[in-house]
Parts: sequence; C-alpha cells; structure tokens
Amino acid sequence: MGKTRISGLQLFMLLSGFLFGSTVILAPALGAKNDAWLAIIIGGTGGALLMLIYAAISLLNPSKTLVEILKEKMGKVLGSIIAVLYIWYFIHLASLVFRDFGEFICTVTFPETPMTVLISIFALGVVYGVNGGVEVMGRMGELLVPIIPTFILIVSVSLITVNDFTAFLPVLENGMGPVLKAALSYITFPFGETVAFLMLFPNLNRKEKLKKIVFVSAALSALISIVIFFRDISVLGSDLMSRVTFVPHSTTLLFPEANVDPLVDINLMIGGEAKIGVCIYAATKAISQVAGIENYTNLTRAVGAFCVVLSVWDFENVLDLFSWTERIYSYYAITFQVIIPLILLVLSLIKRSKPAEGSDADNEGVIASK
Amino acid sequence: MNSILLAIIAVFIILILYDMRIFIRNKEPAKVYVLYFFLMGAGLIVSLLLAAGIRPVAPSRLIEAVFKMIGIAK
Repeated sequence: MGKTRISGLQLFMLLSGFLFGSTVILAPALGAKNDAWLAIIIGGTGGALLMLIYAAISLLNPSKTLVEILKEKMGKVLGSIIAVLYIWYFIHLASLVFRDFGEFICTVTFPETPMTVLISIFALGVVYGVNGGVEVMGRMGELLVPIIPTFILIVSVSLITVNDFTAFLPVLENGMGPVLKAALSYITFPFGETVAFLMLFPNLNRKEKLKKIVFVSAALSALISIVIFFRDISVLGSDLMSRVTFVPHSTTLLFPEANVDPLVDINLMIGGEAKIGVCIYAATKAISQVAGIENYTNLTRAVGAFCVVLSVWDFENVLDLFSWTERIYSYYAITFQVIIPLILLVLSLIKRSKPAEGSDADNEGVIASK
Repeated sequence: MNSILLAIIAVFIILILYDMRIFIRNKEPAKVYVLYFFLMGAGLIVSLLLAAGIRPVAPSRLIEAVFKMIGIAK
C-alpha cells in the first residue's frame, strides 16, 4: 500500500491547528497571572526547541514512524511496550480534548444537551476525517485552520475600545517562580503534545522543510497566545481573568452590541478537530503497526468510541478536570514528551555516528539530516 | 432497564454491525477482531456502568495515585 503524502503547507496547518486546539478556549500559562506573557515567551521558546527535537528524530529516521523508531532503537520487546504506552497516551490526550470541548459547549452554547451527545456527534466528524487519511486531514487543515487566527484577530481588534493597556502591570510581582512553573506547563500543553506528529512526519513530501515548518508553527502559536493574553487581560483585568473558567469566551461577552461567541465555538471545533484527529490517527496507526495490521482505518471507530467513553469516565466535572491537569498533567506528560524522545534522539545520533555497513536507512538518515 | 442503557447498547450495536460488514467483506485477520472487540467491549462495559450510576476508578485517578506514590505529586 503506497504511503500518502502531504505538502509542507498542509503539515504546517495541521500543526498550527493542533497547537491552537484547546488553547483557543483555555488561555495558556494563566498560573503566572499578570506575567503569563513572559511564561508564554519562555514556554514558547522551550516548546519550539522540543518540537525541533521531534523533527530531528524524524529526520534521523526518515520514513519511519514513532513505533518503528522505538522498535528499531530499543529492541522489539521494549520498543513495543513503550509503543503501547504511547498508544494509551494518544488515546488519553484525545479524550482530554474531547472533554474540554464537551465542557465548553455544554457550559456555554448548549446547556440543556447532555455532554455525551455533543462529544459523540463531534467524534463522528473527527473519525470520518481520520478514516479519509492524512491527506484528507491535511486538506481539511489547509482549508479551515486559517479561520482560527482570522477570528482571533477580528475579536481582538474589535475589542480595542474596551481595553485597559496597563492591566498586565506590575511585571514580576510574584517573582520568577510562578512564571517558570507556568512556562513548563505551557511547554507540555500544547507543544509537547505534538509528539503525536512523529506518526505523521514520515508522510511529509519534502523532508528538508520539516524543521522550518515546525519552528514557524511553534512561533505562530506562541505569538497568537500572546495576542490572546494581552487581549483578555486588558479587557477582563487580572483578577477576573484568574476567576473565570473559559477566559476567551468571557472576553467575547464584552463585545459591544453583538454576540460573537460563536466565533470561539467555531475556533474550538476547528482546533479540536485537528488535535483529536491527529491523536486518533496516531493511536490507530500505532496500534496497527504494533499488531501488524495493514489497514489502520479498521480500528478508528473503535478507538473513537473508546475516547468518547474515556472522556466522560475520566473526570466527574470540569473542576476535577482542571484540577487534575494543573496538578498532574505536566508530570504525566513529561515522560512521553521529553524523556523518551530525548533517549530516542541520543540513540539516533549514536547510530548515525556509527552507521551500520550497507544500511540504506542510515545513509538516508545522514543525507536527510544534512 | 432504563432508556439510556438501551440507547448506549443500540449505538454500540450499530457501530459493531457496520464494522463487521466491512471486516467480513475484506476478510480481515483474527487480530483485527480481537483488538476491535477489546476496545469496543471496554467502551461498552464502562459506558453501561456509568449509565447505571457506577463509576469505576478512572485512569486519571490511577495515574495520580502512581505519581503520589513515587512522591512526585502532592
């Protein structure tokens, strides 16, 4: 079966959509309060570096997915065990985004509709997209993801009359501690989550552009997060911003003489679709590679259904969800996002410095990394 | 049996019948069936328990317990 290819632009849009994902409804790095912009800059820099590590791993192992790299570098048994852990992580990540989506829509737009129904309907669309393959997901991203920054810009510019531009002052009122903590959480959510793209990078048609694509999408995501932060804090103020659950939604409520709340809903649907789609694709592709199944689409509906159930099962309410993600998620994610990829990078570099005789894959790796 | 339980069972049956049709037509190997029914079975059992008002220990709680046990999280 021939490998489907996506263009650099499609990968860029998918990456950007993935990075916007839940962050369009949950303002990132809010733990740093007034200094969240500093945390976004520090976390964005760290996140870009982390994403460049993923790109380097992919370039050192051309045409290989994360599962294939794990099996090759860590041996078949250990590699497969770690791959199963990654499958769990991707499924869990998809369920967390499903829950974010469900909580937001249930709280804001459809308060009378059961959350399970909303998540299930959303899942149908996502699974349909994933079944279409990477190419379809890429085209969908190409078409829809540009809408997200456009709507953010429309809301931000339109609210310029109700802004207090000194609201983010004083700088570093509580020292660097909260800033660094928020920066770490901003690295793990959303940048580190792009580890799922290690299952997609082999589909890029021009590998030499990978690092550039990854860096630009990380920079764009951080820039938009800064815009959103300054918009929200100058409209809501620091105190109110730290109290509300869905910050961008609360900001749009102050839009003069119009209801622009659906713009946030649309952004969430596009970003959420991209993020959950990539996670479900990565999980099903990984399952099929571990189990040796030729066609990954056989399992997309089963994985999608399980993600929906997991999203409802995992947390009793929205406060439980936020509390867990704030206290535990960074520690939980760091193993998958930093530790294992760093080990893979080191192993890939060692292998590159000692190329096995006659190994085509290694030769390709050297060429690609140059 | 309440209507929510019936609705859940109906949704899962529709999904399974739809996929079985494709699997049989494509003559998929046994491992596809095993993985498929593992995922669907787990989803069905958990959703039936949730609908019946019984919440099994959530994976996030287990993850939290592991991190607390090794002293990383408080």
